[in-house]
Amino acid sequence: MNQESDFYQRLSEKGISRRDFMKYCGFLTATMGLSSSFVPRVAEVFAAPKQRPPVIWLHFGECTGCSEAILRTMYPWIDELVLEILSIEYHETIFAAAGRQMEDNLHAAVKKYAGKYICIVEGAIATKYDGAYGKVAGRTFLEIAQDVCPKAAAVIAIGACAAYGGIQAAAPNPGGYKGVGDALGIKPVNIPGCPYNPVNLVGTIVNYLLLGKLPELDDIGRPLFAYGQTIHDQCPRRGHYENDEFVEEFGSKEAKLGYCLYKLGCKGPDTYNNCPIAKFNDGTSWPIEAGHPCIGCSEPGFWDKMTPFFGQKS
Amino acid sequence: MAKIMIDPITRIEGHLRVEVEVAGGKVVNAWTSGQMFRGIELILQGRDPRDAPLFCQRT
Repeated sequence: MNQESDFYQRLSEKGISRRDFMKYCGFLTATMGLSSSFVPRVAEVFAAPKQRPPVIWLHFGECTGCSEAILRTMYPWIDELVLEILSIEYHETIFAAAGRQMEDNLHAAVKKYAGKYICIVEGAIATKYDGAYGKVAGRTFLEIAQDVCPKAAAVIAIGACAAYGGIQAAAPNPGGYKGVGDALGIKPVNIPGCPYNPVNLVGTIVNYLLLGKLPELDDIGRPLFAYGQTIHDQCPRRGHYENDEFVEEFGSKEAKLGYCLYKLGCKGPDTYNNCPIAKFNDGTSWPIEAGHPCIGCSEPGFWDKMTPFFGQKS
Repeated sequence: MAKIMIDPITRIEGHLRVEVEVAGGKVVNAWTSGQMFRGIELILQGRDPRDAPLFCQRT
């Protein structure tokens, strides 16, 4: 059986042409900051995976919007590609098992693949009252993270919550919520955003499968390929900023003309992310393109540091 | 009387726990509980009202 032709056969049965797939691989390769000569190798990671690393996907204090981001909103078939190159051992939202059966999966996977699995964490960890603000199967988020994360080959914290605490860590932070790195004193790969862009997680994983290592990170744990530049520096409305052409009111003539949103409270100059390039929903659009100022969701503590989100800046 | 406890409930968003008491093949009592408290209401207090929808979307 030829693994690769089998793969393209399965794709075409889902109505996805080889051309669509290669287009996606080209987009992914560019996002990862690799030269176009890597495109065939990136395609091979999906089409003929040499390994399927076990993945334990933990949910803590979050809204599951990050899981939704990867399962629904991107190319409708990317979730299947991801599920094909990974062997998901535990994921609360997509698993058919529940209760003890589910927990048995977790314990068995942690034991069987100790030191080999990738641990993806979605959500912040409550620390107040020994973590009593959040539990799964009678164990606190903190206990679960302390058990599962140190035995992983790599810990990837996705979304603003897992990376830096997110919304539940906003003042007064009732549950003492912290990001995974802070709560455990480890240095995970942080892929922040609210939600993060799924292409950046796929890029990180493909980087790991293709090159055998995690991507290079900035000083707060974010992959440089995605978080190396500010929104402002990549913004298609940047010209209007330079020309002093600003939107001062939603729904105004200037808003229709697509002028700069800085005076409405845009946090683009203080925010590192690749939204203007990667965009969301199959590359359809992103907040500023849709006329909404950036809220700075990939920066630590943005629910406090970037609020109020709207307002005149002079 | 047998007690069945299912935690976590999967295929939903959030952390739900269900306990059921069964006697003579019938459910005689049941409890559900959300296993996470984040305090979005407490966090919203004193903030700019225009920010509220952005906070509340994330529940």
